Amino acid sequence: MVVDNSQNPHTGTILRVRGPLELKCQLDTRDASQMKKVISATFENLRSQVKSESCVFMVCGSPVIFWPNKGAKATPEEITQNTPCEELLQWIQTDEQESYGKKSGKKRSKKDSKLNVIHLNLMMEMTNPGPLPAPVLTRRIQKSHFLSMSLSMDCAVHISSNDTIRDASKLLVDALNHQLCEMEKVSLQHLKGNTLPLPEVFHFLLPEPNGLTTVVYPAGVADSELEMQRKDLHEQHHLPDDRPYLRRANAYHFPDEPYRDGYLRNPHQVLIHPTLEDGKVYLVQGIYSYHHYMQDRMDDNGWGCAYRSLQTICSWFLQQGYVERSVPTHKEIQQALVDVGDKQPSFVGSRQWIGSIEVQAVLNHLLGATSKIMFVSRGSDLASKGRELANHFLTQGSPIMIGGGVLAHTILGVTWSETSGQIRFLILDPHYTGAEDLQVITDKGWCGWKGPEFWDQTAYYNLCLPQKPKMI
Amino acid sequence: MGRGYLVEDAVEKYLSELCTQHAVPVTGLLIGQSSTQRDFVIMATRTPQREESPSKQETSPDKEWVTEHARQVSRMLPGGLSVLGVFIITENDGKDTQTALRQLVFAVENLISSERLWSPADDDVTDCVTLHINPKTRKTVCRTFDVKDPKCMAKPADWKYQSGVCSSWSMLSCCLNVDMLVPLPDNRAVTEDMETCLKDGLKIWADKICSGVCLIDGKKLPEDTELTTGQKRNMRQIFTTQLLITQNEQRSTKDVIQSCGGSVSVRGTVHARAYLHNNKPRAKLAEKLLKRDVVSTVATRVQMLLEELLTSEVESKSKDEQLCLPRRVFCLLKGAGSLCVCDYQFNDEGPGEVTDRLKEMLDIDAAEEDLDTRQELNAEMVAHVVETGWKNCVFISNGCIIFLSQL
Repeated sequence: MVVDNSQNPHTGTILRVRGPLELKCQLDTRDASQMKKVISATFENLRSQVKSESCVFMVCGSPVIFWPNKGAKATPEEITQNTPCEELLQWIQTDEQESYGKKSGKKRSKKDSKLNVIHLNLMMEMTNPGPLPAPVLTRRIQKSHFLSMSLSMDCAVHISSNDTIRDASKLLVDALNHQLCEMEKVSLQHLKGNTLPLPEVFHFLLPEPNGLTTVVYPAGVADSELEMQRKDLHEQHHLPDDRPYLRRANAYHFPDEPYRDGYLRNPHQVLIHPTLEDGKVYLVQGIYSYHHYMQDRMDDNGWGCAYRSLQTICSWFLQQGYVERSVPTHKEIQQALVDVGDKQPSFVGSRQWIGSIEVQAVLNHLLGATSKIMFVSRGSDLASKGRELANHFLTQGSPIMIGGGVLAHTILGVTWSETSGQIRFLILDPHYTGAEDLQVITDKGWCGWKGPEFWDQTAYYNLCLPQKPKMI
Repeated sequence: MGRGYLVEDAVEKYLSELCTQHAVPVTGLLIGQSSTQRDFVIMATRTPQREESPSKQETSPDKEWVTEHARQVSRMLPGGLSVLGVFIITENDGKDTQTALRQLVFAVENLISSERLWSPADDDVTDCVTLHINPKTRKTVCRTFDVKDPKCMAKPADWKYQSGVCSSWSMLSCCLNVDMLVPLPDNRAVTEDMETCLKDGLKIWADKICSGVCLIDGKKLPEDTELTTGQKRNMRQIFTTQLLITQNEQRSTKDVIQSCGGSVSVRGTVHARAYLHNNKPRAKLAEKLLKRDVVSTVATRVQMLLEELLTSEVESKSKDEQLCLPRRVFCLLKGAGSLCVCDYQFNDEGPGEVTDRLKEMLDIDAAEEDLDTRQELNAEMVAHVVETGWKNCVFISNGCIIFLSQL
């Protein structure tokens, strides 16, 4: 039911075509089957437009234009239907094409190769050779309803290095056509009386061999109501049925689409992971945002570290699609603790610290998530917790909040050797007070690998290990 | 530093004849193209005689009549040609002539611009010209007014006759599909409602056209490209154009389905054309003028149809009707190189009616053979019934559907 592209998703080229198509028709809402027929016919009209010679793709940021249904006729003349698509990259003028793959800092890894995204605009040619008949005005008078919506088409196609413009034309037109079919299906499914939700397109990067996959969901219908649709898709794509892959929050962020909220995502990904003899690396699974001191115009320097770690964990739940609730503020966290009876009302607005038990309580109350608590009486004992921590990252994959003594941190992973017992901890430090500068954060170790000596060897520590809910 | 008007020789001849033939003051319009560097006047046309003219010795021109004439003439000018100003031939050298000219030129410009569906561009020339010729002394006074500023003073301008002003102009043209569907409000749906809805729909459609991408001879050219370069500079050039549109429309409501009392659609093809002066025209100007012609030609025809309906309003008994918009017909201007004017011919009109209008409005003597009717075909009601088992449904050839309660 969806388009899949089976390829290494982090290399190669994606062609992404976007553009609006207008859907307009007159409906008699008293006759439901009539309505469906008219809507279907109008979608069919759009499909024939996309397959017609009037359909045009314009390559953004370049003078290149091609007609996919006209033997891939193109302008400028140097482009023909046999031109390999990757040549389009040479025609595109961008100021900063090298935004991913910058020069590396001390501990940064080099990416193997880039994923290029070529953006195309979907347009329609309104002109054609005449002479043709002059226009006719048709007036129809009947008390009825009028459907008018703008379909935001968004197709992404992964192409290989020897695909030509002609190949790409076929792939893109097929994808657009398919997407219109999906939109029609979704529209008809969710048509109720005289309301019709707008079909919206989401892209997901699914585990191999699925790759980049596109799904249409009706706008305004919550994820919770779309479980049946997701269940079908999980089955089709052989996805496990206990974790979300296709909720709206799981939508893929193309490499050239910055997150607009300003937080860094997964800063640990640029690090080179330590190699221990016989050691294996176990990491957080999925996407989290880095929350730390002084963000959001909140001066919590000196007291807010556990709150920030909790925010990082909440961001993980949100971006994996487990919850729809946005990351809570300090006040909301404090209010939650008052609401569960853990703190007095005067707690709200104070600068009091919290620990792992409070983190567990808030995760439960605000997100409905359970957590396990692990206790170590001495920091030196953490060195021997390799197996448990590895197991957590394997089975749950969520960030861990660790609090002890006077500090709180977030553990994002471990490198652990079963044979030698050597261990390293991947730490995300909420005490950072600077700007969202990935270079600084990784170079200075605010996100970095630490040895067991990092912990206060005599202090006791509590760890909060959030459990991922079983749902899709 | 005033403006400089280069005027085709034929215009001098025409104005001269007007000086000798008429006893009363004669008013009329000056037609051509303004550019930032220079202004070109390619023809002049006198205000037609009013049938119920009360007295022969009218001292002040009839403002309403002149502006109505200007409005009609505007419709007959393809892209690139427009009413640049007003002339008056009178022996009265007094101040009231200048005042009259000033009033006329502002009124004309206000009326014409109020009907426009496109927004003015920053690089549009907003000066209009007034010309006063004294038939006895042949003294010519030429002045311009900035119509953007109602309080502006007249500025002197150069008026220079020359031959070959109209030669080697370039022409861009295209045939464009029009496909609009707008809902009618949920009440009696009389013609006035249809007019408002159509105007709103046209405005949205015009925005789409104006923000579209224009290809000239198959290429997207940078704005500053000179269109006529190299050896072809002194030859007339014809460019084919293509227009690519994004279908995006702004919506005021989130509701996707709204109640309505019906719908109106306009579907068919129009031939649009724009002329460019011969002094190094650039791609930006070409695109602007062509797009404006696309918008005007559709808007004009819809307006003409609505005017017909309003004047002959027999509230139609049938629930649904199809009306043909007039087709565009061109006529070469004598003594003006290859420039053409145009007119709109309804299906039930013969070529004689077109030539009559050309004579009345533009003072052109054209024979039926001079009319170029090859650019557009007559509108046809091309509905045919398709057996789909759907009741009361009709498929129109390009895929749209309308409902007819009775076939």
